[in-house]
Amino acid sequence: MSDADRLARVALSHLAEPGDVRVLRLVRQLGATTVYEGLCAHGGLDAVLDGMPDGVSDGAGGAGVDLAVRLGAVRPEQRLEQARRAGIRFVVPGDAEWPTGLDDLADQPALHQRGEVPVGLWVRGPLRLDEVRTAVAVVGARRATTYGGSVAGDLGQDLGSEGWTVVSGAAFGIDQAAHRGALAAGGPTVAVLACGVDRAYPVRHSELLDQIGDQGAVVSEAPPGATPTRVRFLGRNRLIAGLARGTVVVEAAVRSGSLNTAGWAERLSRVVMGVPGPVTSALSQGVHELIRTRAGLLVTSGAEVREAVGESGEHLLAVPRAPLGPRDHLPIRHQQVLDAVPVSRGATVETISRGAGIGTKEAGTALGALARAGLIEQSGAGWRLSDAAWRADRAEERA
Amino acid sequence: MAVATTRAIALHGAVGHLIDVQVDVSPGMVTTIIVGRPDAALSEARDRCRMAIANSGFRWPTTRRTTILLSPADLPKRGTHFDLAVAVAVLAASVDPSEEAPIPTDDTVFIGELSLDGGLRPTAGVLPMTMAAAQRGVRRVFVPEPQAAEAALVPGMAVFGMRSLAQVVAELRGEPVPDAPPVPADSASTLLSWRGQDRLDEVDMADLVGAPDALYAATVAAAGGHHLLLTGAKGAGKTTLAERIPGILPDLAPDEALELTAVLSLSGALPPGGRLVRRPPYAAPHHNASATSILGGGSGRVRPGELSRAHHGVLFLDEFPLFASDVVEALRQPLESGDVTIARGEESATFPARGIVVLAANPCPCGAPSTGLGAARCSCDAVKVRAYDAKLKGPLADRVDIVREMQPPTVGLAGSVVTSAHLRSLVTAARARQQERYAGTGWRLNAHVPTSVLRDRWPLDETSRRTVEEAVAAGRLTRRGATRVHRMAWTLADLEARSGPTVDDVDTALRLRRGDPLALLPVERLLLDGPATTAEVAR
Repeated sequence: MSDADRLARVALSHLAEPGDVRVLRLVRQLGATTVYEGLCAHGGLDAVLDGMPDGVSDGAGGAGVDLAVRLGAVRPEQRLEQARRAGIRFVVPGDAEWPTGLDDLADQPALHQRGEVPVGLWVRGPLRLDEVRTAVAVVGARRATTYGGSVAGDLGQDLGSEGWTVVSGAAFGIDQAAHRGALAAGGPTVAVLACGVDRAYPVRHSELLDQIGDQGAVVSEAPPGATPTRVRFLGRNRLIAGLARGTVVVEAAVRSGSLNTAGWAERLSRVVMGVPGPVTSALSQGVHELIRTRAGLLVTSGAEVREAVGESGEHLLAVPRAPLGPRDHLPIRHQQVLDAVPVSRGATVETISRGAGIGTKEAGTALGALARAGLIEQSGAGWRLSDAAWRADRAEERA
Repeated sequence: MAVATTRAIALHGAVGHLIDVQVDVSPGMVTTIIVGRPDAALSEARDRCRMAIANSGFRWPTTRRTTILLSPADLPKRGTHFDLAVAVAVLAASVDPSEEAPIPTDDTVFIGELSLDGGLRPTAGVLPMTMAAAQRGVRRVFVPEPQAAEAALVPGMAVFGMRSLAQVVAELRGEPVPDAPPVPADSASTLLSWRGQDRLDEVDMADLVGAPDALYAATVAAAGGHHLLLTGAKGAGKTTLAERIPGILPDLAPDEALELTAVLSLSGALPPGGRLVRRPPYAAPHHNASATSILGGGSGRVRPGELSRAHHGVLFLDEFPLFASDVVEALRQPLESGDVTIARGEESATFPARGIVVLAANPCPCGAPSTGLGAARCSCDAVKVRAYDAKLKGPLADRVDIVREMQPPTVGLAGSVVTSAHLRSLVTAARARQQERYAGTGWRLNAHVPTSVLRDRWPLDETSRRTVEEAVAAGRLTRRGATRVHRMAWTLADLEARSGPTVDDVDTALRLRRGDPLALLPVERLLLDGPATTAEVAR
C-alpha cells in the first residue's frame, strides 16, 4: 500500500469511531485516500458522495458530519511517528502482516451498527498477525466463576502448548484466565482492546497486558490514547471473532458481550463453541442457549476445540467409551445362560436351562463355551460364576 | 503441732481441683494411712515419702499414728505429683515447736514426685495445675526444677523450681538452700517432641499455583475457624493445602498459647524447657488411629488426643472415610461444641478442641479421577464404593462448613502467586474484627458463636435471610447448614472489612458450603489485593 493510503488510514482511524459501518464501507468502496482527501477539501463527505454512482452512499448519511467534528486536530505523519516511538505499528489491508481473516467482515450486515473491515490495526508486541496460524478466541463473562476461570485457563494452556494462538479481550474473568493459561504454556496470545493499545484497561490488568505485549500482541482498531467506551467494545468483538478460526464461549449469562462475539463468529462462518456448566448456574445459561438454539458446538477440553477448529481430519479424537467387559462379546443367548448361573452355590444344567428359558441341550453347549472363556467354573455337580466374572460384574455395576 | 495442711492440684482432663493434703500425727497405733480416694500410684506415695524424708535427713514419725487425708475426700485422685505436698505436710505436722522452726505452708501449692533419695522428679501437667492454682488465688507454687519455666508461663505466680525435698523445706523456712544434684527432664518430652512443626514453617501457599478457589476456601476457614472438606483425585493438592493452613494463621494470643501449652503439658508433649507454644499446631494422624488417640482417653490418667493437641491450630484427617467408624462418629460432637468430654465411671475429663478440622477424601477408595478424557479409570468394587460414599456424605460432612473439590494442578496461571504471609495478614485482620465484636463474650471466632446468640445479636438482613430460607426450603441446605452459612457470611464480611454480611456474602457462603464454584473476580481481588475498601483507599 502506498504511503498516502496508509496516512489517510491513520487519519481516518483517528476521525471515525471504530467499527462505524457507514464510514468503513465508504473507505472500502472509494478508497481511503479519496475519502480522506474529500474530507479535507470539503470539510465533509457530501461533496464526495455527490459524484458517486447510486448505492455507494446508502446508509452513509450523517457520516460526513461525524467525521468533520474531529478533522482539524489530526496530523497523520506525526501520529504515526509518535506510535512508532512507543513501539506501536499500524497494520493496514494489503500489508504483508494484515490478517486476511478480517477481510470476511466486508459486506456483512451490521450488528449494533458496528461492522466492516477496519481501516487498520494498531499493534504492540512481537507476534506478527499474519503468523497467527491457527487462532481460537476464548471469551466469556467478566463475572465468571472459579469453575469458568479454571476451564478457560486449561483451554488457554492446552491451545498454547500446542502452538495455537489464543485470542481474547483481556477483560476480567474468562478473558484474563485464557490469556494467562496461554502465557503459562509459553504459547502466543493476542489481546484485542477497545481502547488504545498504549492504555491498560482494565487498570488491574496492566501487568498482564505488558506480558502479552512482550510475548504476543496487543491489538486495537482505536488509535493510541483512545478511551474504552461501551460502543467500542461492541466494535471490538467482531475483531476477536474475525482474527480467530473459531470462538469458544466459556461462561456467559443470557445478555453477555461474549455472545455478541459468538454472533460475529457465526456470521463469519467460523466455528462457534460453548463449554457447558451446571444447568443451575445463571452464568452458563447464555452458553447453554448458544448450544441449544444456535450453532454452538459443545466442547469440554482443548483437544475437542482443536478437533473442531483444525483442518478436517487433523486433531481427531478417539471417542471416549467404556472398556468392554467379558460379557459384551458373548452372543445374546449365551448371555442369557450366564445370567442364570448362580454366584456361589453351583446349579445343575437343568436348573440353569430352566432359569434361562433355553433348552437343556443348547444350555449345555453354552455352558461349555462359557467355561472355556473362564466365566464359569464347575462346583460340585453344577456350575457357578468364576471369580473373574464376578469381579468384572461388580466393576461394571460401579460404572 | 500435730496437724498440718498443704495444697496440691488434682487434674481431671484440663480441669484442675485444689486439694487439701491434711496430715495428722497423733498418739495411737503406729501406722500410716492415706484416705480420700487415692489411686494405686498415689497410695504408694506413703512409701516414697517415707524413704525420701528419711534420706533427706528428716525424721518420719515412727512412734505415732499418721493419717493423711486428701480432701475433698469424695473426689478420685490419681498420679504421683502429690508426693511433695504429702511429704511437706507430714514434716510440718511432726515439727516439735520446742526444738525446730515451723514450716509455713499457707498460700502455696506443691507439685512433684519424690524419689527415694529425696529428689524431686518432673511430672506431666505442671502448666495446667499451675493455671488452676492461679485461678483459685494461690500465689506460690513449688515445682521440679526442669518444669519451673513451664509453670512460670502463668502470669502473677511466684514459681520455685526445686531439686529436692530438703531444698523445699529450707526455702519454706527461709533458711539457706542446700545443694542437690540436678534433676533430669521428663524423658517423655523428648520422645514426643513436636516433630515436623519446623518443616511447616518452611512451606508456603505460594507453592499452590492456579488454585484460587482452594486458597480462598483455606483463607475463609482460617479467618473464621471453619471446618473444611477437600475432595479430589490423588495428587490434587489436598495435603499440600492442608499443611499450609497453619502458616496463614496468626501467632496465638497469650491466653490461647497458654491453653495450648497446657494441653501439650498434659499429653507430655511439651518440648523441654517449657517454652510457651506460640505458633498454631498441626496434627495429621494416620487413618489407622484409634478413637482414644484422636479424641483422648487411655488407661489410667486421661490424656488429650490429637484433636486437642491441634487446639487453636489445624487437625488434618487425610482419607477420612478410611478412619474407623467409631472415630468418625465420635468426632461429631467436638466439631459442634469445640471441646471433648471423656466420661468414664464417675470421672469425666474435658479438653479443649477448637482447632480447624480439615477433612480430605478421594472421590472413591482407589483415588483415580472419575471424569476426564483418557483419565485413569476407577477400578473399585461397587460395594466398597457405596460404603465409602456413605461415610463421605455422612453426618460428619454435615458438620463441615466449607466443601471444595480440588482439581489436579495444571501448569497454573501466569502472574497469580499468593504467599502465606499475605494471606496471614488478611486472616489476622479478619480475626481482629471478630475479637472486637465478641469482646467480653468468651468467643473468639465466628465459628464459635452459638446459633441462638448469632440469630439474636448478629442477624442477617431481610434479603439475606430469605436467600438462606429459600435454600433450606428447596432442600439444598440443612438447618445446621443454614447456621454455618450465617457464620461464614460474617467471616466473609470480616475478610472484606465490611460492617456486616451482604447478600453477596451469603451467596458466597452458600456456594462454599454446597461445593459450588465461586465468583472468580472477588476471589482473585481478595487473594491478590486484600479487602476492596482498603485497596480503593490506596488507589
